Amino acid sequence: MSQIRENIARKELSSAVVNTPIRKRVTDLDHAGGDTGAMQVFASLRDANVVLDGPVGCHVMPAVAVINYTDSIPYLQNVTCSELSETEVTLSGTLGALKAKVASATAQGRQVFIVSTPVSELIGATWTTEFAEVPGSALFFDSHSLDDDEWKSRDRALLFLWQNRDHFIVPEIRQSAASGKPRVNVIGPTYGNFNSYSDLAEMKRLIAGIGADVNLVFPFEASSFDTPRLADGDATVVMYAEYGASLAREVGKPAFFAPIGLAPTTTFLRELGAALGLAAEADAFIRAEKATTLRAWHDIWRSTHSDFFANAPIAIVAPPTYMDGLSYYLGEELGLPIVFSAYRTGPESSPNELVRETLRELSPSPMLVFGSINERMIVAQEKLPSRFLQCSFPGAVVRRATGTPYVGYAGAVWLLQCICETLFDVLFANLPTSAVPPEKARVPTKDLMREATAAVESHGKGQNSVTAWTAGAKALVELTLKRVPFFVRVSVNKKLRSEAEKIARERGVVVDVAIVEEVTARYSPNR
Amino acid sequence: MSKQPSSMCPAFGAVRNLLRMEDAMPIVISSGDGCLYGHTFVAHFYVANRPIYSPGVSSEIWAKGSAFDELRAMVHEMAEKHQPALIPICSLCVSDTVGLPFDLLPKQIGNTEIVYVPLPAYSVHTHARAKDIVVDSLVWRLPPQRKARAGVNLIGEIFPSDPIKIDEVLRKIGTHVNTTVPGPRWADYVAMVDGALNAPLHPFYSESVKRMKMKQGLPFVEGAPVGIAGTYRWITAVGHALDLDPVTVEGVACEERERVRGAMAGYPLSGLTFMVAGYEGHEFLLVRLLIEAGASVPFLSTAVNANPLARDEEKWMIEHGCTVLYGANFEDEIGALTDRSYDCVIGTTPLCAHAKELGIPSIYYTNAIATRSMVLADGATDVLALVMQTVRAKDRYERIARFFAEDETKPERTYTSWAPKIDLTSELIAQNAL
Repeated sequence: MSQIRENIARKELSSAVVNTPIRKRVTDLDHAGGDTGAMQVFASLRDANVVLDGPVGCHVMPAVAVINYTDSIPYLQNVTCSELSETEVTLSGTLGALKAKVASATAQGRQVFIVSTPVSELIGATWTTEFAEVPGSALFFDSHSLDDDEWKSRDRALLFLWQNRDHFIVPEIRQSAASGKPRVNVIGPTYGNFNSYSDLAEMKRLIAGIGADVNLVFPFEASSFDTPRLADGDATVVMYAEYGASLAREVGKPAFFAPIGLAPTTTFLRELGAALGLAAEADAFIRAEKATTLRAWHDIWRSTHSDFFANAPIAIVAPPTYMDGLSYYLGEELGLPIVFSAYRTGPESSPNELVRETLRELSPSPMLVFGSINERMIVAQEKLPSRFLQCSFPGAVVRRATGTPYVGYAGAVWLLQCICETLFDVLFANLPTSAVPPEKARVPTKDLMREATAAVESHGKGQNSVTAWTAGAKALVELTLKRVPFFVRVSVNKKLRSEAEKIARERGVVVDVAIVEEVTARYSPNR
Repeated sequence: MSKQPSSMCPAFGAVRNLLRMEDAMPIVISSGDGCLYGHTFVAHFYVANRPIYSPGVSSEIWAKGSAFDELRAMVHEMAEKHQPALIPICSLCVSDTVGLPFDLLPKQIGNTEIVYVPLPAYSVHTHARAKDIVVDSLVWRLPPQRKARAGVNLIGEIFPSDPIKIDEVLRKIGTHVNTTVPGPRWADYVAMVDGALNAPLHPFYSESVKRMKMKQGLPFVEGAPVGIAGTYRWITAVGHALDLDPVTVEGVACEERERVRGAMAGYPLSGLTFMVAGYEGHEFLLVRLLIEAGASVPFLSTAVNANPLARDEEKWMIEHGCTVLYGANFEDEIGALTDRSYDCVIGTTPLCAHAKELGIPSIYYTNAIATRSMVLADGATDVLALVMQTVRAKDRYERIARFFAEDETKPERTYTSWAPKIDLTSELIAQNAL
């Protein structure tokens, strides 16, 4: 055991800059560890074979179970593990178990990456190949899986590839067709990154739009031996702030983050254009976009759809790229009031307990909650009237069609559409809905009047007078209404009033708190 | 140039109100499938997810005149099977022009009232007028007014909890709200016969009010408890019309006026210029509220026609520098919009789209204002808070307008929507974008 403690103490300290803090208590953890992040980078390379140095669970969980719900991939065929058992952990270390795996993969011409897992780190198993200098031999990556989160590990793994760029064997047949246009590197995405397929597609469209070529999408559309080619790019785009910036810095070309929102995209295009000597082309593209892609945006903006925005409070919980991007776009550009926002991961991330408490206490409740499965659960468990929209992992989602970007002009259009549709959904849920015919008329019209005469004469008040409400009942209705979005308050108010008064009439009493509670209880929040 | 006032298909106003009635099963005799599709589409989006029944129509059916036989069969079947309180028959353009013999339909089947609602859009003209026709058709069916009467009949489109709030005030002066029309049940209409006073809250249901005056012989009080002076005036007018204790009435009216004044103090609008365009006469109330809060409203554009119910309010508005444009159409509104600069536009869909293009904060009247209470102190705060919030978004609207304007430094102040002026094809081909 002392040996184990020493191993941990010797480990390089994790950077405080990008890593998610490790808390004393965690409820519903929302990010993966370093081994998963590293695997997601290396496995993205076409010629890679990742060997997770750990027991079978360390392999099956990220590379079979989770990947199926993040990337809709049945399992990652190029990932295996050393299948550690008790013997290796307690006695022999992981070396022997790994050798067989590595040998067979290398024999098939794959570049092998050995990634440490919590168990291998705990027992201090580091791996150095006997022929480390031999090009194409297996590389060992210490994923700091006990301390680093998936994002930091991705960043480190990408840098690791660059640092080892001369280690990879370049096949002879490789040839790049030069078009003479300026070339742009795209760093990111990797597996397990929410919405990345669409974001990448939009980024490629933007780069082509201003008249540049994509040099390399790294690591998603690359092989390990392509790594040195990053040097051929004239500029670099980093898809997500969470990882890839360290690599971009080392590559040393003008670098830009992928933009979210209208103004950020415009700025991005102009700056990227300027860096590539394509300023005029960038301007022309922006002009053309206004008449094509953004036509939809401008039409929706000028429609009544956008009138609801100022009264549609929202909450956002996401990793920094999406949190900052959505906050700016939805809050600043569209004008949706952001009543709560929190970083899902990274040094400033908020614990789930805080998110839950805040969402529960907010009045009015946010109409839309952007988040992960955690927020989805909170909305359901706390019976909030909010609609949930997924903008982050964890949480099973299919995002393989490339039409749902957050990035770029197409992203601005898609998000706008998405919000409008969700608002329509809220409206639907609050309209009177009935397939059954109306109630039977109890009495003919002429009889409706006969009943009231006595009441009018004795009390000076018709029986038709507004059913009385107690002060408490009125206050409860006000409170209930405050929790529902503005544009459906009429419908909700009507429904509440008519049903509560109906009960009161039937029972011959005034509307009190109990009756209002009875009526509100009939409506589950997410009907 | 269109000469018609801007309006949704007028008939929809009627379909909408009838579909919201819980004990009614409206039948819509459409002019064709395109027409019916439109009505069904918007009804299911805006009104209720309830079935809309219609006899099928085609040129052959119209030529043969078989639509009426089908309608009659439908009416009998529905009345006998479901026994709703009402089966309103909305007769749209073609059926009303062809002239189906609606007189041959029974007036009642069991407990069900069968009510013909004529809605030829070409002569109804406005959505507002169609709503009026519904109320008129239903009021026409009312039994005679009862001798012993009490309470106030509220007439108008108001927020669902408004009658409760108004009732609370009325009880302090010795009366109460008797019923509200249009209401969700037929009984709400029938209850009118018990009321002692009719209060059309906005200048809207003018034909129905005419009918009520003919039929009911009740006193009328116009206007609504909206704004500072408006609240005071309405409460005292009700007290006077019902001959209630003047001291109590004066006390309550002053108290409510001060509450409204207090609530409005938090939302000063002085120095701001608004344009308001609406179509249900409801906009008169909003303009009063804005002016009382200190705003300048040079134009009120309304789809309703000049009618006696609006006379007093119009006089007050003219005194406060506001011109009322009756039966206004889109071109009139655009014209008024380009006359001067506005800080905020509250209007119809196309007007708002245009204003947004110019970078003026705008909201659609129906979606934003009609979903709020405007009466008494709470209502004033509700609406003014929204208005302030909208005005504050000016930067955002300007930013977007600049981005989409051809010259990004300044949005054009002309009408350019829906068609780009320059042909971008060559540019797009050059970039291989096409």
